Amino acid sequence: MALDGGLAGKVVVVTGGSRGIGRAIVELFAAEGADVTFFYQGNAKAAEEVLALAAENGWSVRASQVDVRDSEACRSAAEAVADRAGRIDILVNNAGVIRDNVLVGLEDQDIRTVLDVNVAGVFNVTRAVAPFMISKRAGKIVNLSSVSGAKGGRGQTNYAASKGAIDGLTRALAVELAPRRINVNAVAPGVIETEMSESVRELAGDEIKGRILMRRFGQPRDIANAVWFLSSSLADYMTGQVLYVDGGFKME
Amino acid sequence: MAAEINKTDVDAIYGTVAKTIADALGCEVDEVKRDASLIDDLGAESIDFLDLVFRLERAFKVKIPRGKIVEDARGDLPEAEFEQKGVVTDAGLARLRTFLSEVPAERIAAPLKTADIPRLFTAETFAKLVIRAQREQGAA
Repeated sequence: MALDGGLAGKVVVVTGGSRGIGRAIVELFAAEGADVTFFYQGNAKAAEEVLALAAENGWSVRASQVDVRDSEACRSAAEAVADRAGRIDILVNNAGVIRDNVLVGLEDQDIRTVLDVNVAGVFNVTRAVAPFMISKRAGKIVNLSSVSGAKGGRGQTNYAASKGAIDGLTRALAVELAPRRINVNAVAPGVIETEMSESVRELAGDEIKGRILMRRFGQPRDIANAVWFLSSSLADYMTGQVLYVDGGFKME
Repeated sequence: MAAEINKTDVDAIYGTVAKTIADALGCEVDEVKRDASLIDDLGAESIDFLDLVFRLERAFKVKIPRGKIVEDARGDLPEAEFEQKGVVTDAGLARLRTFLSEVPAERIAAPLKTADIPRLFTAETFAKLVIRAQREQGAA
């Protein structure tokens, strides 16, 4: 029997979808026949590239410029999707930033930006989207955590704190939404080859690889595959989980 | 002071409100009796109220702040005079009887915990909530 995750025709919102892992998620879901809207903060050129690729392939992909720190913008963007498509089936909270530095060297802004985007942003988008799922008594929410949330690395106190918060949010929200048949899970990537991890890979690439059992960095598609699974009907019996996709990452 | 909400106003939107309640609670529309308590008679939970208000906002294209019913019922009565240690005062009960005139008066009796006020809410309470939101939006 062939596996069918049932994603064709699903209405999906992906935040931070113009680059890196988010883009891989958008591409995978769209190629499966989902109706995907991705939010992007400011890189219009990257967003246009994704839209061009979608047009070439005949995918249903739309872009919406939204700063997830702005709760009102999140609300109107979510409403626009629901008004057009009639519902929102899947939310992937992927948008995230890093501002790495050792704790004593962090500026106020480095702390605030990471927590505002990575944590408050997830609250804002989820508050805007979840009511549509509650009304339909169905839905899948997948949050992007990080291996950093459980196994913090040097220079990542702000980022680790933000991802630890996402793990907690994921479990608590799973409790709240289970009675409405909404699954809430997280995927925790290890070190993935994206622009965001470029500096850390350049600075300490070999050392980090030594701590990865698979001895290689992950690809965005590795993460998209896990997000796909948790968004599909194959994961109907999973909720409140953080799924590690990190090649077997060991703490120092 | 806002104009009174009369029966004709409520009748005009009641059908849509009752259908919205039935959709939110997953029950039949005939089960939504005008004076039935949504919590005690129809089994609504607090998350259902959030869903219901969300659906009403979309159905009627209005904005309804959360906690609006109790806030409006209290009106200009200071919070300390409306409730003490989580229990509604006599002055508070009098406010509720006037404001929630659709709720059978015997249900608004002491002792009433503030946390239990939502148990009083009926389908008509939500119809009136929509009408007030429409009027405020129109006036703005």
